[in-house]
Amino acid sequence: METKKTSKQLLGEIQDRHYADAMKAKEEGKLVAWATSISPQELLTTMDIYTVYPENHAAAIGARKCAQPFIDYSEGNGYSTDICSYARVNLAYMEIMESEAANIPKPDLIFCCNNICNTVLKWYENISKELDIPMIVFDLPFNHEYEITDQNTKYIKAQLLEAIDQLEEITGKKFDYDKFKEVMDISIETSIWWKKAAMQAQAIPSPLNGFDLFNYMAIIVCARGTKEGRDLFKLWYEELKAKAEAGIGPWKSGEEEYRVMWDGIACWPHLSDTYKTLKKYGINMVTSTYPDSWYIVYESNDLDGMARAYSSNYVNRNLDFGVDNIVKLVEDYKLDGIVFHSNRSCKLMDFRQFEVQRRVEERTGIPSVIFDGDQTDPRAFSLAQYETRVQALLEMMESRKKEGK
Amino acid sequence: MYLGVDIGSTTSKAVILDREGQVVGREIIDIGTGTDGPKQAVEGALKQAGLRRTEIRKCVATGYGRLLFGDADKQITEISCHAKGVSYLVPEASTIIDIGGQDAKVIRLNDRGKVDNFVMNEKCAAGTGRFLEVMARVLGCKLEELSDLADRGKDGVAISSICTVFAESEMISQLSEGQARADVALGAHRSIAKRISGLANRIDVKPSVVMTGGAALNHNLVQAVADELHIDIISLEDPQAMGALGAAVFARELDK
Amino acid sequence: MNPEVQKQIEQLKGIAENPKKAVNDYIAATGKKAVGCFPIYTPEELVYAAGALPVGMWGGRRTGSLADKYLQSFCCSIMKANTEQSLAGDYDMLSAVIVTTYCDTLKCVTENWKIAVPHLNIIPIVYPQNRKQKSGQIFFAEELQRVKGKLEEVLGADIADADVEAALNVYEEYRKTMQMFTEVIRDYPKTFDAVTRHLVIKAAYYMDKKEYTEIIKAMMAELRKVPAEDASGMKKVILTGLIAEPVEMLELFTENEMYVVADDLAQESRQFRVSAPAEGSCYERMAARLAAQDGCTFLYDYGKTRSQRLFDMKKQYNADAIIFCQLKFCDPDEFDYPIVKKDMETFDIPMLYLEFEQQMESVGQLRTRIQSFAEMMD
Repeated sequence: METKKTSKQLLGEIQDRHYADAMKAKEEGKLVAWATSISPQELLTTMDIYTVYPENHAAAIGARKCAQPFIDYSEGNGYSTDICSYARVNLAYMEIMESEAANIPKPDLIFCCNNICNTVLKWYENISKELDIPMIVFDLPFNHEYEITDQNTKYIKAQLLEAIDQLEEITGKKFDYDKFKEVMDISIETSIWWKKAAMQAQAIPSPLNGFDLFNYMAIIVCARGTKEGRDLFKLWYEELKAKAEAGIGPWKSGEEEYRVMWDGIACWPHLSDTYKTLKKYGINMVTSTYPDSWYIVYESNDLDGMARAYSSNYVNRNLDFGVDNIVKLVEDYKLDGIVFHSNRSCKLMDFRQFEVQRRVEERTGIPSVIFDGDQTDPRAFSLAQYETRVQALLEMMESRKKEGK
Repeated sequence: MYLGVDIGSTTSKAVILDREGQVVGREIIDIGTGTDGPKQAVEGALKQAGLRRTEIRKCVATGYGRLLFGDADKQITEISCHAKGVSYLVPEASTIIDIGGQDAKVIRLNDRGKVDNFVMNEKCAAGTGRFLEVMARVLGCKLEELSDLADRGKDGVAISSICTVFAESEMISQLSEGQARADVALGAHRSIAKRISGLANRIDVKPSVVMTGGAALNHNLVQAVADELHIDIISLEDPQAMGALGAAVFARELDK
Repeated sequence: MNPEVQKQIEQLKGIAENPKKAVNDYIAATGKKAVGCFPIYTPEELVYAAGALPVGMWGGRRTGSLADKYLQSFCCSIMKANTEQSLAGDYDMLSAVIVTTYCDTLKCVTENWKIAVPHLNIIPIVYPQNRKQKSGQIFFAEELQRVKGKLEEVLGADIADADVEAALNVYEEYRKTMQMFTEVIRDYPKTFDAVTRHLVIKAAYYMDKKEYTEIIKAMMAELRKVPAEDASGMKKVILTGLIAEPVEMLELFTENEMYVVADDLAQESRQFRVSAPAEGSCYERMAARLAAQDGCTFLYDYGKTRSQRLFDMKKQYNADAIIFCQLKFCDPDEFDYPIVKKDMETFDIPMLYLEFEQQMESVGQLRTRIQSFAEMMD
């Protein structure tokens, strides 16, 4: 009898298959798209266009510690060290087309959704120019008001419909609205299981070691519209729920002493060091703003809802909303502190960090630290600085614990 | 007699050429613009040549402090002067890598020895002489001793930080973890070589490649740059004086 | 040079070099209100229609540590300066500020300012990136009307569509005039050297556009009597980028016998090189004008047309070189640069890459670069 696979095993398999299938699709002459991480993949999946995600790919390259040559190559082409390192890696990969970490095929079209930042617009503009391929842009206006307005929603929905027209033109196929409904159903379910799984970390101790969130994130990005993706997150949820009910903590050895939120993406080239330093002190990352950012849930077939859902991620919201969001996380996850990753590549997150830190501290009283790092550029991180900051946070959390806070 | 003066941020150099274009005087003083370093350099070169200032027909000044040097017939940038000086001695030179005290430059020459294109890095200390000074301080030796120290290194300890401040703390961490000074020095040289190669790659490095500036006296560093770029680097006997030599050559051309 | 023209130049330069004073003087003289307008493009027409003075906010000289409360060091110097100046009270004469979201930095500044300087009545506006699509134009027209409503609230004014129409016509006249003016002054490279050209254009940000346009027209009329200046030995350059400041950097062009024959700068020509169509409501016309705005890095550049534009400009003006003005930490331009660099190399057009910050203590390093480039071109 076959032993049931764990979600961890499935995660690895789905990831490997994702890259292998992409290469195969290209060889078979099928259309391949590159898309930004929170874009309406439902449209591409419906059209049977195999989609890969440069951000995921760059993260994998960074985590495998292979990013430097790509970064050097881009900087040799004149790209500034100042710009997003995912872009620097990907724009180099686009010419080199070979990496130890994983390979993705050249795209036939690109899907660019700027809800995550405006940097992707410039990055993808360059891909489109260099490869001479069509670029479909989803312009999701920055929500400077608390709620997503009808005006924004209307504009986004119109772009969804326009994109369908563009896809029909590019593929020569009619858009299958029945299949679209199926894909929407699956995508919505996947998002729900993703968040439910992440929410298991509310248990004390958390059965989830938060750095796993970063690992599973790759699948919520690349397989959100697939049955495998949905089933993976459902399985993960069940595993975590079982652990939570049994009172099992995040690690095989060591107890969870402190619970923190990690603001920002991981420092992929230094994943191990950043993780180990926290674990050494019993500090578990239990949440971040990412579970909510991929909670893209709407009523199936409701394009207005879909438009709003895609516009709702953390960085596309105003500061009031963002702070309320984090304060709620502090409460729901019983956080002791926050680690803010001042990610050199991500100005959209960074230039709000100081104010967010102040406001969250004011409203919740919990301590936090900011450290300098980068998502894929290994040079922009100092382990000595990180350790010092984490220790400082530990001392603040320790002293609060003693005072019974 | 023709005088070329190169006034940098940390050093002042003077070179004198005779009518036939032979070097008859040369001096380097370890203080730069805003001091009497330039004056001392000129005096030293004149003394070596056995000349008086009035015997100099034309003078060209270059370097950061060229505009403050009141005594020149013309002031030309160090980019053009390095190109002139290097192609004077090495006519086949196509690329010049100059690591100065405060900046780093890579200059590409066309086949006539003229500047075709150049890239500079001045905002960041990584990859400049300033970083070497920081290195020497951390390793507890003199600047001139860095090359020999690194030569004794067996396994360069990687220093990855792009920022000089972070890199300094990395070096200190490694020393405190018991890494050999020689290995840390070797690693730091390789880190500089990576920065330089990053700069050079923006401009398409072609042979023959020459390195100038004080850092070019550091043979271990020169080798690290050559390894990083996968290209041979021609050594010059007097890499620090190239700017002043080029200025002197320009001065001689002024008199034609 | 004609003394009339000289006088007008001095007047405009004085305004451009002292924006704070110019705006305060205007408010005192007219009793009108003033509204700040962020880069890159803001609907100044709406502010004008409200009877207030639109005031450009393109950074400035101020450095300090107030902005550090909100922004890390790797933030562009224009936004750093704007934030520093707002916290220091330099903008307190403004009744409101319209902030924009073209880049990630601007989005954060928009949010930070709401908390940092609430007395400035922050009004965000979002320009659509899909501006050529019908839905983008509808969105923009709605956005303009939404912002108009906010302005009415803050200024206690009533802005009728007819007022907006009239304001749009004032601005169209300004744009048409500036398109001509920048052609005319090419013949006077000594009078309109790099610094003067810049300051004369910049003055518009602190003046009533109608008055400014009259002065420019008067200057052009006087210039018709003046023979072209001798430009032999001088090199013609085209500046491309967000902004070309500080003026000490522009002086270096003059020092090296270069003059600006045309510009592709967001702060300068990109503001006025595209005219609105004549048909449609004022909002439709403004949306159509936005849709026609190409080759600017802050607006999604369909087909990446910037290089082609520079190539055409180089040919049209017989320029000697392009100067890529890279404001340090400006991401959008940092993405464009490698593409433009490659294209200029393919077209065999010399290009100098200048990286600078708006507040620079000394320009020695820039001097070396510009002078070396000039020596290369000899």
